[in-house]
Amino acid sequence: MDITFLLNGETVALRGVDPTATLLDWLRGPRGLTGTKEGCNEGDCGACTVMVADDDGAKALNACILFLPQLHGKAVRTVEGISGPEGQLHPVQQAMIDHHGSQCGFCTPGFVVSMATAHLNGDTGHDDALAGNLCRCTGYAPIVRAAEAAADAPVPDWMRDEAALAAAEESPRNAPETADELAALYAAQPDATLVAGATDVGLWVTKQMRALGPVIFLNRCRDLQGIEETDAGLRIGAGVTMDRVLVAMRDRHPGYAEMIRRYGSAQVRAAATIGGNIANGSPIGDNPPALIALGASLHLRHGDTRRDLPIEDFFLDYGKQDRAPGEFVEAVTIPAQPDRLRVYKLSKRFDQDISAVCGAFRITLENDVVTDARIAFGGMAGIPKRAAHVEAAITGRPWDEATLAAADEAWAHDFQPMSDMRASAAYRLATARNMLRRAWLEDQGVAANVLEVRA
Amino acid sequence: MTFDFKMDQPQPRLLDSTRQGLIGTDMARPEGLLKVTGAAAYAADHLPEGCVHGMLVRATVTRGRVTAIDEGSIGDIPGLLGVFHGPKFIRNPAQGMAGESPIRPDTEVHFHGQPIALVVAETFEAAREGALRLAVTYESAPAEVDPETASEVESDEPDTRGDWDDAWGKAAARVDLTFRTAGHVSAAMEPHAAVAEWQGENLLLRGALQMVATNRLELADALGVEPERVRVVSPFVGGGFGSKLGIGPEAVAASVAARDLGRPVRVVMARQTVFDAVLRRTETRQRLRLAADADGKLLALAHDDRISNLPGEGFAEPVSSASRFTYDALAMHFAQEVARNHRTPSGSVRAPGEAVGMITLEVAMDMLAQLLDIDPLDLRLKNVATSHPMTGQAFGEQRLADCLTEGARRFGWADRPAPGTRSEGDWLIGAGMAAAARPNALQESSARVRLTPWGAVVETDMTDIGTGTYAILTQIAGEMLGLPAERVEVRLADSDFPRSPGSGGSFGASSSGSAVFMAAKGIREKLARTLGCDPDDLALQDGIARGGNVERSLADLIDGELGETATVGPGKTAETHASAGFGAHFAEVAVHRWTGEIRVRRMLGLFDIGRVLNERTARGQALGGMIWGMGGALHEALEHDPRTGHIANRDLANYHVAAHADVPGDITADFLPVRDDHANPMQSKGVGELGISGSGAAILNAVHDACGARLLSIPATPDKVIAAMEEG
Repeated sequence: MDITFLLNGETVALRGVDPTATLLDWLRGPRGLTGTKEGCNEGDCGACTVMVADDDGAKALNACILFLPQLHGKAVRTVEGISGPEGQLHPVQQAMIDHHGSQCGFCTPGFVVSMATAHLNGDTGHDDALAGNLCRCTGYAPIVRAAEAAADAPVPDWMRDEAALAAAEESPRNAPETADELAALYAAQPDATLVAGATDVGLWVTKQMRALGPVIFLNRCRDLQGIEETDAGLRIGAGVTMDRVLVAMRDRHPGYAEMIRRYGSAQVRAAATIGGNIANGSPIGDNPPALIALGASLHLRHGDTRRDLPIEDFFLDYGKQDRAPGEFVEAVTIPAQPDRLRVYKLSKRFDQDISAVCGAFRITLENDVVTDARIAFGGMAGIPKRAAHVEAAITGRPWDEATLAAADEAWAHDFQPMSDMRASAAYRLATARNMLRRAWLEDQGVAANVLEVRA
Repeated sequence: MTFDFKMDQPQPRLLDSTRQGLIGTDMARPEGLLKVTGAAAYAADHLPEGCVHGMLVRATVTRGRVTAIDEGSIGDIPGLLGVFHGPKFIRNPAQGMAGESPIRPDTEVHFHGQPIALVVAETFEAAREGALRLAVTYESAPAEVDPETASEVESDEPDTRGDWDDAWGKAAARVDLTFRTAGHVSAAMEPHAAVAEWQGENLLLRGALQMVATNRLELADALGVEPERVRVVSPFVGGGFGSKLGIGPEAVAASVAARDLGRPVRVVMARQTVFDAVLRRTETRQRLRLAADADGKLLALAHDDRISNLPGEGFAEPVSSASRFTYDALAMHFAQEVARNHRTPSGSVRAPGEAVGMITLEVAMDMLAQLLDIDPLDLRLKNVATSHPMTGQAFGEQRLADCLTEGARRFGWADRPAPGTRSEGDWLIGAGMAAAARPNALQESSARVRLTPWGAVVETDMTDIGTGTYAILTQIAGEMLGLPAERVEVRLADSDFPRSPGSGGSFGASSSGSAVFMAAKGIREKLARTLGCDPDDLALQDGIARGGNVERSLADLIDGELGETATVGPGKTAETHASAGFGAHFAEVAVHRWTGEIRVRRMLGLFDIGRVLNERTARGQALGGMIWGMGGALHEALEHDPRTGHIANRDLANYHVAAHADVPGDITADFLPVRDDHANPMQSKGVGELGISGSGAAILNAVHDACGARLLSIPATPDKVIAAMEEG
C-alpha cells in the first residue's frame, strides 16, 4: 500500500507498505527512531504511545498495534517530536524530571506522549489519561504530580501540526472512503479481514503472529463514524471510537459512560470502535451487556442489503455470530429512554483489566413494582447473554428484598459460568447475584458505587 | 582483591561536615533529560551496521529431549541466515552474582518455554516467522509441576534458638497459621535484550543487565572464551528488579550467532518469553507460629516454609530472612523445604524473602494483637529486637521503634475508630499497620575518580537500573571534592571500568558509593598535602580549596589530573554488627461489603535507611516498593497450567502489575535522620527493597480491621475476600 503522513512535522511518503506492518516496528526499525519503546507489543503497557492527530483532534495511541495504513493522511508525533525543534523541553518533560516521574526511564517516552497529548487537549483528568501507561518503578504518584505541575503551562507552538496534512493524497484501494465503497469491496472479497481500530485484530498479528491475508481498513469511512438522533433513538456508527461513545453516554446513561472509562485505556478507547467490539463477539466484550440491557438493535449490511436485529440475537455461540460472509456491522441504535441503566464491571485490577463479570441492568418500575427487566452479563457464558430466568422471576413483583431472594434460584438456570484465572464459577455466580442487589440498593439511595467513596 | 579500605571500624561522619551541600538533597537525576526526550539508548535501541535479528525458539514440552530440529522446515523464508543451538546455549538466566555459566542442557528440556534455539534472519519479521514455524521433534518425559505434590523435597536442619516446647507451652496466646503466596515476576518494563558484536576475537555485548562484572564472567564461561575478551555494557536499563541479575539466554544466543555469522546480532525477548524464560519468584506455603505471654511479650516465633525450584537450581527464596531479627523471642525456629518441580525456575525478584515472608509475619502479629486485645502498635513496640536474636550481634543502628511511633503519629493511628465500626455506604473502612525490615550489606566495590581542572569524572561498572546511581555518585563525588553537580560526570555500566557488585540486594548504592567516597577521600588527602594543610582542616566548595589559611582554586592545585582508584569491602563491623533497614507501614482501605473489592485509600511509610544519599531517588525507591507490596497483596499472581506447569497469564494484560487507578491518591514515604556508623564509611543503608517489606501486610491488616476478613492467601482477590468475610 502507498501512504502519506506527517511524522514530527515532516511529510513521510511510503510505497508498498505491508498492510499489517506496525508503526512501532517501522519507527524502531527502518526509521531508526528508537525513543518509542516496546514493552509488551499488545497494547497493555503504553510504552509505545504516540500522538496521532487529524481533523478530529489529537489522540494518544499505542504504536505497537497500529498498522501503518491507519495513519494515511494523519499527523504522528513521537517522543522525539514532543521536545521543540531547538531541543526545548516540553513542560511535561521538564515536570517529569522535576517530580522524579522518570526512574528507569523505559516507560517514560510513552508517559511523556500521553501527558503531552492530554496537555494539548486541556485534559486534566490525569489518572484517566495515564491509566494505559504502566510503570514498575515510581508507584505512579510522582508521575501524576508531574502532570499536575505542567497542567497550566501553555502548549508549545510546535505541538500543533498544520491541518493540511496529506489529505490530497488518494486513498489506498483497500481503505474505502464510504460505507458504500466498503460494502462493495467486502461483498466482492468476503474473506478479507476488516480492520477498524486494530485493538483486537492488531493482536492477531503481534501476539498470535497470524498472517491476515487481504485486509480492508475501515477508518477512512467517515459515514460510519456518525452519531445521530433518529426517530428510533441514538444511532451510533460502527466506526465510532469508544472515547466518543463515552461522551455520548455521559448524560444519557452515566453508568454506561463510567464503565467505558474503565474500558481499556485512553489509547485503547481512542482506537477501538463500538462496531469492532460487537462484531468480534467476545464473551467478555464490555459493550454488549449494556447494549442488550438498553434494548439496542444492530444494523448489518451486505452489499446493498441491510437487516436489523436485536443485539442479543447476534451472539449465537462462543466465537459464532449471526453474520454472513461479506456482511458487516454498520451501526447500532439505542432507543430513546429514561435512564434506568446500571452497569457494573468487576475485574481483578480496577482499571485496564478484562472483566471477570460485567453486568448491565435496566429495571423499570411503576409504583415500586418491576414492570420490565432487561439484565445481561458478560463473563458468565460463552456469549454476552440475557438473564431470562432472573428477569422473569422479578418482573411483576415488588422491588424489594423478598423479590431478590425469590430470584436466587433463577441464576443457576441462566448461567453455568466457568472457572478460570479471572474468577471461579461460584464467585461469578455470587457476584452476579450481588450486582442485582447493588442495583436495588442504589435505588434505595445507598452509596454503592465504587467511586462514591473518598478518603 | 587488595582492599584500600575494609570496614573494620566506624568512620568519621565526614559527609556531615563537607560544604558543597549536595549530599542528601533531592537533586534531580542528571540523565533525566535523556530519558524524557527518548534519547537514552537502551540495549535494544542499538542497531550497529549490518546487524541482523534473532528470535528465541522455546520448548513446547515440559521435560524431555530435543531429538531433531528440522532447519529445512523454514528454508523457504527469505532472508533466513541460520538456526543456532547446541552445548553453549544456557537454559535460564544465571542466578545473581553466580559469576559462571548457568546450566547448559544441550538437547535436554527441563521446563515448558525453555529457550532451545535461535533463528537468525535479515529482518525481525523473518526471524519471528522462522522461530514460530521451525519444526522441532521431542522425546517427552513425565514431569512434576505442582510443588504441593512434589515427590522430591529437600530440607535442611532447622535454625533454632532456645527451648521451643517450653516457650510454646507456657504461652497465654498462640497463633499458628498457614499462609500462601502466589508466584511473582519482576515484569520490568524493558524486555530482556542483547546486541552482540564481535570485533575480531573480542566480544562487545550490549545488554539489559544489572551486574556487568559477573555478567561478563558468566558470558565468557558459557562461550568458552577468556573473560578479557568480553566487554559488557549496560548504561541504561529499563528496570531490573532482580530479573537482570545474571546473564540470560538472549545474550549467549546472540553472541554464538554473531560469532558464526560475522555480523552483529540483536535478540529481544517478546514479553511472553520474558514471563516464560526469566526467573520467577517462587510461590510459597508458610507456617507461622507465635506465642506470647499475657502482656504480649513474645515467647516463641517459628517461620517455616515450602518453596519450589527446578532440580539442581541453587537459589532458594529466603522467606524467613527478616523474621530472624525483627522481633525477639526466647525460642525461635526456621525451617525450609524446597520442592523440586519443572516450572520456570525461580530466582531473585525484588526483595527475595521479605516480599513474601514479612507479609506473613506481620499478619501473624496482627492476629496475636487481636487475641491479646493489645494495640498492634504496642505489641510490636514490646517485642522489637535490641540485638540480632539468632547471632547475638549488636545492631549498627536500629530505629524500628522510632519508625513505628513516629509513623503512627503522622498517620493518626491513635485516633482511628474501633475495628469494624466505620463504613461509608456499602464500603467498610479500616486501618492497618506493619513493620518493615531488610538486611543491609557492604559488598566489595571499586571506583576510579579523576579530578581535572574542569571537574571530576567517576568511573565504575555499577549500573543504574532506574534507582538513581548517576545522581547519587554525582552527589558523593561533588560533595567530597567541593564541586557543583554540573562539574561531575559519572560513567557507568562498562565492564572495562573498575568492578562493582552491580545493582541487586539493595547494596549497590552504599557499596559503589563507598568506593567513590574513598577514592575522593584519597584525592582530598592529596589536595591537602599540596595545599599544606591537615586533611581534617581541608574545606572544599564550588571548586575552591581552603585550609591552613590558604585559599586556592582546585584548577590551580591540580597539575593535569589527580586520580584515585579505591576498592572497599566489608570488614570487622560485618562480624560484630548486624545491619538492616527498618520501617513502618500504615494503610487505610475500603472493602466493599457485597463484592469484596478492596480499594487502598491511604498509605504511609516511614523508614530508617541510615544516611539518605538523595532524598528524591530514595523516596522514589520507597514509594515504588510500597506499591509493589500492594500489588503482591492484591493483584499479582503467576498462574500455571496444571498439566504442563506453563505460565498461563504470561502478558501484562493478565499478570496484574498495579496500574494508576489501583494506587491511592494519598501516599507518602519519608525517612528518619539516621547514621549507621557500622554499615559503611557513609553511614548509609540500602533502600531499594525495604519499601516492599511489610507493605502488603499493612493493607491486609487494614482489610481485617474494616470487615473482619482475615486473608491468609495472596493475592487477596475479591472471591477470597468474600469467602473470608463469610467465615469472619
